[in-house]
Amino acid sequence: MNDFVLQTFQLTKYYHKTPALDHLNLCVPKGCVYGLLGRNGSGKTTAIKLILGLLAPTAGRAEVFGHPSDNLPPSLRSRIGYITEGHHLERWMTIRELEHFQKAFYPDQWDRRFFAEMLDYFELSPKRKIKTLSNGQRAQVNLALTLAANPELLIMDDPMLGLDAAVRRQFLEGMVHLIQKEGRTILFSSHILSDVERVADRIAVIDKGVLRADCTLEEFRMQIRKYLFEFPQPNIPVDTLPGLIYSKRNQQMLEATVVKTPEEAIYEWARRHQAAVEPVPMSIEDQFIEFTGPKQARKLFSWEMPV
Amino acid sequence: MALWVQISPGSKEPLYVQIASQISRAIALGHLRPGDKLPPVRKLAEELVINPNTVARAYLELEQQGFVASKTGSGTFVLDPALQDNKDLAQLNLLGQRIDTLIVQGLNLGLTPEKLIEFFENRVRRFLSEQNKRSP
Repeated sequence: MNDFVLQTFQLTKYYHKTPALDHLNLCVPKGCVYGLLGRNGSGKTTAIKLILGLLAPTAGRAEVFGHPSDNLPPSLRSRIGYITEGHHLERWMTIRELEHFQKAFYPDQWDRRFFAEMLDYFELSPKRKIKTLSNGQRAQVNLALTLAANPELLIMDDPMLGLDAAVRRQFLEGMVHLIQKEGRTILFSSHILSDVERVADRIAVIDKGVLRADCTLEEFRMQIRKYLFEFPQPNIPVDTLPGLIYSKRNQQMLEATVVKTPEEAIYEWARRHQAAVEPVPMSIEDQFIEFTGPKQARKLFSWEMPV
Repeated sequence: MALWVQISPGSKEPLYVQIASQISRAIALGHLRPGDKLPPVRKLAEELVINPNTVARAYLELEQQGFVASKTGSGTFVLDPALQDNKDLAQLNLLGQRIDTLIVQGLNLGLTPEKLIEFFENRVRRFLSEQNKRSP
């Protein structure tokens, strides 16, 4: 037995001849909040659907609670909460009807009081029909329906897409509320990196179907670093800088981002090229963009620097 | 006791560093006094809407720096700076390195060494007078 709530083994999915997900190995430990990051079309949704058994893999496999994803029994499904982007709910039902419908899937653990409290907090009457709700209100109902089922594993595919700042914050509050309980696990994808920074313990970065980073958030913050160099001469041997992922230059100045390069190695390299060097702090968004972007920065909307 | 932590996610400083530096500043200014209890990890996490592990990480950082101590089961408390072993070499070295960075920046701004020392002295005095103003 291990303590992984969710595991994938060489999980692969092709659409025709295009790989959407390429040999993904992911382990989500119990009690962890895992942020799944990647640009649009990188394979996040495919990964989540494969994990939940909603898609069949081309190769490899996934397990949830130690059970194969392609054959999850209802008893295990009732321990999983799943929220997709868009928050599609039955339009013709009222909130109360939807609650009864949802409760049937989670008979032993439905928290009626919590659901009522959340509706109250959102100022939503249970008599409202889903089709009369705004996008944000539908998202709130979806969040209440999911959390009231008290899931051991919560999986959310870009749940905050298109929501205003207030509703986004309520989703984050819901996540923090859930993880305060013992042994709850969350896997979620998001494009809003400041939200990811708030709640994630670990992150996985998927790029073109391939897992490129899988580490704690703190490691990601600490191991992608930017430095500004100033050289005595304009011919800068950028490529010899260890761990380089991104660089920008202007005559004798070089701005370079490196991964997992010890600070001493940077200073040693600078000394060898008689360069002055200075660290430049980065936000998680800068780190993500430079980690997943093209190696040589070329902005789409840029103008020539006056020389 | 007065502690008001504010964070800005998505900025250049990691969240746990933001929290730890605000608390150590509150201790330095006397807003938090020896023996004061830090808010429980879960409570601060809920208040700031962040992962409780991030708050715990900030408290661990403060503990390693010798500003606070955690007692199992009862919480994390501010230590008396006067009673601390300030001769901890590693910490003094670290402080020295930070001061060095400031010296380089000051010289690059064109300040003379004398001006720099004067400037540094003034800042220390200003900080201490702020501390006195706020203390009851």
